[in-house]
Formats: sequence, C-alpha cells, structure tokens
Amino acid sequence: MKELGPLIHSFWYLLRGAGMTVLMATSAVVPATLLGVLLALLHVFGGWLLRSAILGYLFLIRGIPLLVLLTFVYYLMPLTGIDLPPFWGVVLVISLYYAAFVSEVFRAGILSLPQAQWDAARSLGMTRRLMLQIVVLPQALRLSAPPYVSLCVSLVKATSLVSIVGLWELTMAPFQIFIGAAAIYFCICYTLALYGRHLERRVLLGH
Amino acid sequence: MEDTLNDASSLAIELAPARQRRPMLEIAGLCKSFGALEVLRDVSVVVSPGEVVVVIGPSGSGKTTLLRCINLLEEYERGTIAVDGEPIGYRTDGRSGRRARMSEREIARARERIGMVFQSFNLFPHMNVLQNIVAAPVRVRRIERRQAEARARELLAMVGLSDKVAEYPIRLSGGQQQRVAIARALAMDPKIMLFDEVTSALDPELVGEVLAAMQQLAGDGMTMVVVTHEMSFARDIADRILFIDGGVIVEEGKPDQLLFAPQTERVGAFLKRYNDRYRI
Repeated sequence: MKELGPLIHSFWYLLRGAGMTVLMATSAVVPATLLGVLLALLHVFGGWLLRSAILGYLFLIRGIPLLVLLTFVYYLMPLTGIDLPPFWGVVLVISLYYAAFVSEVFRAGILSLPQAQWDAARSLGMTRRLMLQIVVLPQALRLSAPPYVSLCVSLVKATSLVSIVGLWELTMAPFQIFIGAAAIYFCICYTLALYGRHLERRVLLGH
Repeated sequence: MEDTLNDASSLAIELAPARQRRPMLEIAGLCKSFGALEVLRDVSVVVSPGEVVVVIGPSGSGKTTLLRCINLLEEYERGTIAVDGEPIGYRTDGRSGRRARMSEREIARARERIGMVFQSFNLFPHMNVLQNIVAAPVRVRRIERRQAEARARELLAMVGLSDKVAEYPIRLSGGQQQRVAIARALAMDPKIMLFDEVTSALDPELVGEVLAAMQQLAGDGMTMVVVTHEMSFARDIADRILFIDGGVIVEEGKPDQLLFAPQTERVGAFLKRYNDRYRI
C-alpha cells in the first residue's frame, strides 16, 4: 500500500497529464489524417515524379524512429531560428510522422477496391473526381477504418515520447507513477479501440 | 409520269431525316491488342436503332473486349466507334489523318448515354438500391433528385423490385442485384444498352428473371448489344447474331439461320459442342 502512495498523491497531476495527452493527440490526428489521405490520393493518381517524391518521404519516415525525429526537431529548431512552442513542434512532428502511415493505410483501401467498381462508375459517365467522391473514397475509407483506428491508438501512445523534448506531459512524472500513467494511456487507447470496433460493425451493416 | 414520281420519292428519301437512317452504333475497322496478343482484328459492326444484336463465341474470342471498347472501358488502337453518330474515344483529323484521344470529360459525356450491365453486377455496396440508381442521374446528368427518384421507382417496378428500394445490395440475390443493375443503367436514359454475360454469374434458377427483364426491354424498342452464352435466349431475343472467334466476326445472320444452318464449319463445330453439353 505504501508503494501506491506517490500514485495516490499525484492523481490530479496524472489527470492533468491525461488532458494534455488527449489535447496533443487530437491536435495531431486531424492534420495527420488529412495529409495522409492527400498523400494516398497523390500516390495512387499522381504522376511518376509525385509518386517517387512520396515514396521517398515514406521511406524516410519509416526508417527513422519517432523519438529521433522529435529530438532532432527539439534541438535543431532553435538553430534554424524558427520559434515554435514545444507543444506545436511536437504536434507538427507527430502529424508528419503519422501522415506517412495513414497514407499507406488509405492507399491500401483505395487499391483493394475491385476494378469492377471503377468500371461501373465510368460506365455511368462519372468523371474521375465524381467517382472518387461518391464511389471510391466512401468505400476505401470504410475498408481502411480498422487499421486506421489502430494507427490512432499508436499515435496517442506516441505523445508520451514528448517527455524527451522537455514538454510537461503525462510521463514527466517520477518513475513510480508510470503504472498509473500506463493505466490512463490504456483507458484512452481502449476507448479508441472500442470505438473502432463499433465503426467496423456499422461498416459491415452498410455492406 | 411514273418517272417523275420515282424521282420525287427518291428525293424524298434523300431528304428524309438522317436520324432515322443513321445507325445507333457504328464500329469500323476496330483493332485492339493486349501487348502482343491481338484480341480484335478489323471488326466492323453496324447496329440500327431498336435492333438487338447478340454476340456469341468461345471464351477468349474477344466478344467482351468488343463490348468494353464501345464505351471505352478498353482503349483500342485502330478503327472508329460512333454511337448515334457521335464518335467515342478517338477523333481522326480529316485533313492530317492524325488520331487524337478525346479528353476524359468528353469521354465521360459520351458514356452517359451508353448503358452497361456487367457479369458481376457491380452495384455500389455502400449505397442502397435507390441510391445506386439515382446517383448518376443526379450527380452526372443533374436531374432533380425528386424526379430521379420517381423515375427510379418506375424502373424498379418494371424489373419487379418495388419492395427493395431501401435494401442494400448484399441483402439481394444475384438475380435481384442484376435487375437493379439494369435499372441503374436505364436510369441514365441510354440510347443503347450493352450486356456483358449478365447471367453467367447467376444460379440457374435466377437466370430467368434477368432474361425476362431484358426481353421486355428489347420489346420496348431499346437498341441492345448482348454478349451471352445463353443460346436459347439468343435465339428468342436477337434480331441478328454475330459469331466472333479469334478477334474476327466469323459469321453473322438471323438467329434461326446462324444457329440451325450455320454457313461456316467453325460455327457449326461450336454449336455442336454447345448442344452436346446443354441441349437447347
């Protein structure tokens, strides 16, 4: 019981940290998703130049640990003279990082749509833009929903890396509190996963 | 006196509205390859308004490719295709003879009035029956939604699916899905309908309901090009049958003539094999 002392004392502290986690995660998930969808579309429909640029970006992002990117940005940003508050610096890095993975998830969703759906849409006189809008994207987004949600869960956990760059956040707490912190992360992520399952069920019904 | 009359009437024919005599579909010298494989070799077909042309032939003969070229789901290398006098896909410059592809927008416009029904139905799974049917009329042809929905209900009644308006495709049988697909194509008010082996993916007991819908459509005067393996249906519905093999039209003729008194050995052998298996 004695060991739980720090945890109980720091309950409010942890809760504030949780608020920070949610704030940071939601700030990052929106740009990550928008950029990810855009990259996926450009990857599938863009010319070879655009395509290779995106491939290079994916290669880079996938090859570098998020932690390294964060540290890099934290220590190098001041040298370049760009003065971004740490919070937004971190949100920026996480957004760019996860956009790469989101784009792969959505690209897979677009590509897994059978050619027959394109044929049907084209035979009805739809332009490419309209096809994307009402036939391809609605289905591709549904197909991508499960892996997308698990990416979001991973994004929430990634905000913990922020402690490295000195921003006051959940894991800036003494070591004893880590268990409580883990529990809070779990609650947030589990809720997301539950919501994902709910989404999947709705998707299945729609089909 | 009689001479003058004749002259006058021949003049009248000359001046008669070109529309009436203009073919609904005109394919001339069509060539198409997949890499080194020539799938269509100098195919020419003329279909009059209201005519039902059935295309038969062995698998891999090019009949589906021919159909898909008509609305440019397949590109083709040589030849011309025109629907109701309007070229689709490529334009040849009269003076230089250079062949240029139309813009995507022009091609999309041309496809608006060419209905197509596929072997695997290809309904949009995330839309219900009504949404499937009105999507293109509303978004492509800019028909008012209420009007489009009323038309969709009419078409659903025609194919006998009035009670399935709000159903999602996955809850429908193959035959029902295919009838929705027919209604979806008709909702665009097409000048011509293309059917690509539309009963091949169906359980035998569901074939009849789809064929009945097509039969009715033919009776209403729709111009149709039908690729099928259903010989008895071909006999019933066709004004003319084309037999394609190896990318060329081997023989064409009235159903009774082509199916029962084929002029070429190739068609005879094909029909014999078919009869041995199915006994029409």
